[in-house]
Amino acid sequence: MPLCKECKKFFPVKEDPNKGDCVQRVVDPRQAYYKAKPVGANMDASSCSSFEKI
Amino acid sequence: MAEAAVNIKELEKNQEWWRAAELKRSKRLDYLRKAVWKKGAVGGLYAPGIKVDMERAGLFTDGYFANLNDPGMVRHAKAVANVLDNITIFITDQAQLVGYVGSLPHTISWLIEGGALLNEEVYNEPGIAPEPEAESLKKIAAMMDRWNGHTVQDKFIPYVLSFAAEEGVKLLSGAVGWGLPLSISGYNGKDYEYILTGKRGFEDIIEDIDRRQNDMTEKARKKAGPEYLHVGLRMMNWEGMKIVLQAVIRYANRYARLAKIVAENYETNPKCREELLRIAETCERVPAKPQRNLQESLQFDHFLQVVERFESGGGAWPSRPDYYHGPWYDKDVNIDKRLTKEEALDLVGEFMIRAHEVGAFFPRWTREGLQGITGTWVWTLGGVKQDGTDACNDMTIAMLQAARLVRVSNPTFAFRWHPQVKDEVMRECFECIRQGLGYPSMRNDPVLITNAMHWHGHPIEEARTWVHQACMSPCPTTKNGFQPMRMASATANMAKVVEYALFNGYDKVVNMQMGPQTGDARNFKSFDELYNAWAEQLKWLMNLLTMSVNFGRAMSPEMCPRSFLSAISERSVESGLDAVSPEGDRGNSWITAFTWVENIDSLAAVKKLVFDDKKYTMDQLITALDTNWEGYEEMRLDFVKNAPKWGNDDDYVDDIMLKCLREAAQFSKVIKDPSGNNWPILPENVSGNIHYANIVRALPNGRRLGDALYDGGISPGPGLDKKGPTAVLKSCGKINHITDGRAFLLNQRLSPTQLSGEKGYQLWRSYMHTWADLGLDHIQFNVIDDATLRSAQREPEKYQEVIVRVAGYSAHFVDISRKTQDNIIQRTVQGIA
Ligand code: SF4
Repeated sequence: MPLCKECKKFFPVKEDPNKGDCVQRVVDPRQAYYKAKPVGANMDASSCSSFEKI
Repeated sequence: MAEAAVNIKELEKNQEWWRAAELKRSKRLDYLRKAVWKKGAVGGLYAPGIKVDMERAGLFTDGYFANLNDPGMVRHAKAVANVLDNITIFITDQAQLVGYVGSLPHTISWLIEGGALLNEEVYNEPGIAPEPEAESLKKIAAMMDRWNGHTVQDKFIPYVLSFAAEEGVKLLSGAVGWGLPLSISGYNGKDYEYILTGKRGFEDIIEDIDRRQNDMTEKARKKAGPEYLHVGLRMMNWEGMKIVLQAVIRYANRYARLAKIVAENYETNPKCREELLRIAETCERVPAKPQRNLQESLQFDHFLQVVERFESGGGAWPSRPDYYHGPWYDKDVNIDKRLTKEEALDLVGEFMIRAHEVGAFFPRWTREGLQGITGTWVWTLGGVKQDGTDACNDMTIAMLQAARLVRVSNPTFAFRWHPQVKDEVMRECFECIRQGLGYPSMRNDPVLITNAMHWHGHPIEEARTWVHQACMSPCPTTKNGFQPMRMASATANMAKVVEYALFNGYDKVVNMQMGPQTGDARNFKSFDELYNAWAEQLKWLMNLLTMSVNFGRAMSPEMCPRSFLSAISERSVESGLDAVSPEGDRGNSWITAFTWVENIDSLAAVKKLVFDDKKYTMDQLITALDTNWEGYEEMRLDFVKNAPKWGNDDDYVDDIMLKCLREAAQFSKVIKDPSGNNWPILPENVSGNIHYANIVRALPNGRRLGDALYDGGISPGPGLDKKGPTAVLKSCGKINHITDGRAFLLNQRLSPTQLSGEKGYQLWRSYMHTWADLGLDHIQFNVIDDATLRSAQREPEKYQEVIVRVAGYSAHFVDISRKTQDNIIQRTVQGIA
């Protein structure tokens, strides 16, 4: 089972590597931006369509 | 470059300011301006692509129900903290300021805890649920089920029914009042003197609260007494404040971390990388610690505004950016020379854009009342300092210049004019007006400061800090002076007063006995009889609305606590009470009087044509009104054309205006707000003149059911001010703008051709001198010709940044309904003599 921590978009928190941010680039019809959302390092990534293996 | 300069000149010569602005602003500002998703509803509908923010709703719901057994303020703070810790955040390319009230740029916030009325609308609004829609609707329905019995509305209604069921039904009819009398709808002022002057950051407040908690615990343990009866409540409120302050610091740090990740892993452009690292440094600093420079000061302020909107509706945006950020502008640009003027202008322009992009899901009646915008966000500029000296600074000028570059319709500005304002600053105000922004509106500072002291007893230093709490009403920014909720939920559809006086208090639109039975008007034998009925209806309506707001205010700390607002308010940090609690609030309430002038023109018409000239009987008039003037067109035109109309310097009708205002002013001192202070009226309209068009029946001023009402507080009816702009000013100048009410909105349309060049400025200056000499408190201008507006109606895509003044706010012309557009075109274009 792939995990978030095996994904290129996962950035662990230094103080607690079990936690991290999923950082993604988005280009919508009006603007481009980076977005971040807290995720767990061991979160199941099998149904994530944005998963990118490190 | 040279070609662009020629092009700009040409466009400015043709007064195509919106096109010139696109070329004049920096690439960054142009990008950021065009990056904004339109959040205001157009004709009551949200633009394609706009989605309700499911994340805030879901996270707040989870946080709330996970802590259901906690005391109110703590539970609320934990729910807000859950949002701040987990919501998706984003940083737009080229941005230097961050923070948004939603998870993605195209989302609008949704306060799910408000009530089923709003939530049902979210569920039923076509296209607003994120894709995949079916899945979102399922989630929305599940969340709504969870909230059933827990929303503010659910908690509030039994209390209302317990003592005022009939009044509640009348208010809910939508015929006479506008707005929700609870603190969840926001519109609160802020204690900026406490939080935005660079004296403290959130860590300092947390430390202060810790000290107070220890102190109170110790004292309460030592000695029993009534002063410690509510120690538990206070301790819990303080706890809630600390929870939310700590969460905001973490929220800012999340931005710092994202900026660093992007700078270190994705960004290849060295300048952009440097800017991202500066964002990181800024968000690590504020709001945890006090700001040290302009970027930190603006960012601090923006975090305050964003987080406030995570906890309430935030319908208004009281703010005084030049006053509070001016010292940092001065330090960076003039003293340390850390920023060039152009760099500072980019920051200031972006600061406006960050506010402009904020949006919320509103019920349909609000969307219709606030066409094309997301709230009445009027930022205050200019004015005097607490010591009475001129407060204008370089930031004032930068704000006015940035406004012309970014041309947003929300926020807008209002300028506190006073005799010491320098010509240089007046020219900047004029340029904004001439370039068709519709703002700044001009406010008479000496009059309004005296007015604040007269009505609410603010000490002069406190009164001098005033900002616009919403569109019009001044409210101080001090510990005891700031107002923590929308007391203007006492917003009256005043045209109903004369309608009810003519129809014995019965409303045939909603088919209810609304007002008191003041007698069959067919039998009135004198104008005095009609006037007395009018006065009785007026008092009934003023009392109905203020009673409901007082009640809502008293219940608010329990129904919808404001942990964040309390945490940034000195009086709450000191007392441990919710900021909305009346304790420590001097009181600054006002009744917004929509559709006021219809009363005056209607009363004058009846006096003249029925009682003085005896051309018609009351019986004939009531019959004609009852049929919506159908079959009585000749008579209707007589009432339009041959009865005196407000705004023409005609004492006959102007005296009726004064009599009516003074009747209201007297009663304003009888009814009291929760602090025991007065409730003066404030005639203005937002776009209530359109919203109420199908609610107010035919009136003796000649209107028919469905016709747009007059457009502004004391503005004459469109096309009815026949004697020119000075006559309008003279009529308005007969009102005592200190004692007759809280403030009075006046719209004027001026000709762009006449205002061109230096001559145009001089004409406007002398017009403004007359305005000031007559003691008017407000005026705002539309300076745009009919041809441009008609072209914008034909080809809206080419006129996206054309702005018009609607009422107490501006909107992009293409974003308002056709009816409002036509109403603006109909306003008389005044030539200044
Ligand atoms: S949520 Fe998906 S994209 Fe994000 S880190 Fe996990 S696997 Fe990667």
